[in-house]
Amino acid sequence: MAGAGGGVREMGAAKGKGADKRLGRPVRVLLFKPGLDGHWRGILAVARALVEAGMEVIFLGHRPLDAAVETAVQEDVDVIGISVLSGSHLEWTGMLEEALEREGVREDFLLLVGGVFPFEDHEELRRLGADGVFGPGTDTRDIVSFIRGKLR
Amino acid sequence: MEVDYDRLEEALRVWSEERSCFEDREPAFTTDAGIPVKDLYTPLDTRGLDYLRDVGFPGQPPFTRGIYPNMYRGKLWTIRLFSGFGTPEETNARWKLLLREGETGFSAACDNLTTLALDPDHFPGIEAEVGKEGVPLYSIRGMEALIDGLPIDRMSVALVVTPMAAPAITTCYLNLADRAGIPREKLQGTTQSDVVTSSLAIMPWGAVSPERMLKLTCDLIEYTICMKEVPRWNPVNFTTYNYREGGITAVQEIALGLAAAVAHIDELLRRGWKADDFVHRLAFHLSAHRDFFEEIAKYRAARKLWYRLLKERYRPENPRAYHFRFHVQTAGSSLTAQQPMVNIIRTTVQALEAMLGGCQSLHTNSYDEAICLPSDEAVTLAVRTQQVLREETGVASVVDPLAGSYYVEHLTARLEEMIWEYFLRIEEQGGIIRALQSGWVHGEMAEAFHKRRRDQESGRERVVGVNCHVQECEEPPPSFRINPDAGRIELERLRRLRRERDNRLVERLKDELRGVCERDENVLPVVYRLTAAGASLGEIADIYREVWGVWQAPVGV
Repeated sequence: MAGAGGGVREMGAAKGKGADKRLGRPVRVLLFKPGLDGHWRGILAVARALVEAGMEVIFLGHRPLDAAVETAVQEDVDVIGISVLSGSHLEWTGMLEEALEREGVREDFLLLVGGVFPFEDHEELRRLGADGVFGPGTDTRDIVSFIRGKLR
Repeated sequence: MEVDYDRLEEALRVWSEERSCFEDREPAFTTDAGIPVKDLYTPLDTRGLDYLRDVGFPGQPPFTRGIYPNMYRGKLWTIRLFSGFGTPEETNARWKLLLREGETGFSAACDNLTTLALDPDHFPGIEAEVGKEGVPLYSIRGMEALIDGLPIDRMSVALVVTPMAAPAITTCYLNLADRAGIPREKLQGTTQSDVVTSSLAIMPWGAVSPERMLKLTCDLIEYTICMKEVPRWNPVNFTTYNYREGGITAVQEIALGLAAAVAHIDELLRRGWKADDFVHRLAFHLSAHRDFFEEIAKYRAARKLWYRLLKERYRPENPRAYHFRFHVQTAGSSLTAQQPMVNIIRTTVQALEAMLGGCQSLHTNSYDEAICLPSDEAVTLAVRTQQVLREETGVASVVDPLAGSYYVEHLTARLEEMIWEYFLRIEEQGGIIRALQSGWVHGEMAEAFHKRRRDQESGRERVVGVNCHVQECEEPPPSFRINPDAGRIELERLRRLRRERDNRLVERLKDELRGVCERDENVLPVVYRLTAAGASLGEIADIYREVWGVWQAPVGV
């Protein structure tokens, strides 16, 4: 039944080549879309760019928050990224932050939020818990250097 | 114009020698679809064309110049803005504003839950999406509030949803029109119900397989058109616009649309109908993107190919079946969040493409749409854009004025060839449905958007305000905000309906629908009764999910 997951349940994983200098292994990133928003190109473009930069990406497609958090813990990722183009970016970011806090794992991950939303919401997204916020027109190389800079 | 081709060839050779002293800005130029662009086009480039066979007259085969003899000198295209947000009441107010400002057709942008046919209490957190990307229409009550006081007896309404929601939302509308006493033969409108949009352009949530979605759309075509229940309805809109937004080319856009149409025609022929029973009501929804001449040539080539496809394969007798009717939407993906007022200019140019290409209906994007849903001010400007083109340019006084341009005719012919080749490649995959289920089309689209990202990031594809002519300190425009109470309001609307309706009747009809799905019969008659009885879109689609299962889109890194 639909309630369990969503359109894409199969996990797509792709490994990049380069080990991160500090970590001694590639950076591991979990990407997924909370909610129903079906715009899939942005998050896959980011996924491909991160892989090209040598990172390891686990792409979950649509995934309920709790299930995604569980996977993030199991897979021991460094970064969690969500993409929202439905206008519900504030709500989903707040709910993800809550889910991470509830599990007591918030400090284990860098949290990135991307999608289409007003520039004036960037501040609010950071206040809600996002470490990095990437709106329309973002160059994917900026996301790569942001992650590298923060994990250092 | 007299042409002596031998003398022309010689003259061109001489000219080319002189011209070679002038250096170009770039080593090579191509169209957006990758067609090499020469510096100059002459009669030599259209030499193989036979005017009567390949270009002809508007309203006559092969319809290159338009589907009506007088085009906009008779009826202007419909100004139809895709619009919806918050609650049905708020969207109704926006539609009334658009009507006052000169809109001539309505189009319902629905929220994710409506589009996918899910109730707002389907899983925790989902109410956050109510009214965000469009209007919430979860039952006949929502539809009633949306169309309240609007002249739907004389204006058409487009209902933009996936096949999961299409039978239910269309019958909500039909039930209300019937109650209002509007004769079915006067009722005009469109249900998008596009399988390719619902399995490729969006990553669907809780949808059945493309094969089952095809069944649902064909049920709608069969009920409204073949069975003549709503003879002027457009029961499907092959929305190539949505595929194009994913980064593919004009060639792939049209080829996918034709392949989608073929799948539906073949399925209805398999059911025993004749092409003449329904093909005249199939319609398209195309994009207007960033390569001006190529887009115009695309519309001309698409009309020609539709004619050719029908003539070669299906040979309907109704002359209207050969009319490639299309709505156009200017390209949302060409808009930028940076320097958003520049989007007005992009949209104007793209709207002019649609107009020169002979569209039947047009949506112009609002300048703030790369940031949020459009404000009243932005959407009014989008209507004005079309009105300026209609009233102040003189372009609507003449039919297909670019015909005879060596470049445009050359591009039209070249695109026709390339679209047909790509269409045959889709057929080699076993047709569009198999190509969707195998993930072949998803792979094609992924390649296209990764290439586009690389081109934009390397500066090869120039985007004003993003990778060139960047403004450092920008003052962002005020953004339009969605009613934060929409989720609560719509949950309450649905709960009240569930309290007030005859739940035993709804349960009995749901059992009936389950049987209809199991026996693979047309779902429309029982869905019509279900929506009348107050069943929600989500409750109806849950039966499809239960009987046929949920499909996983083949999307991966």
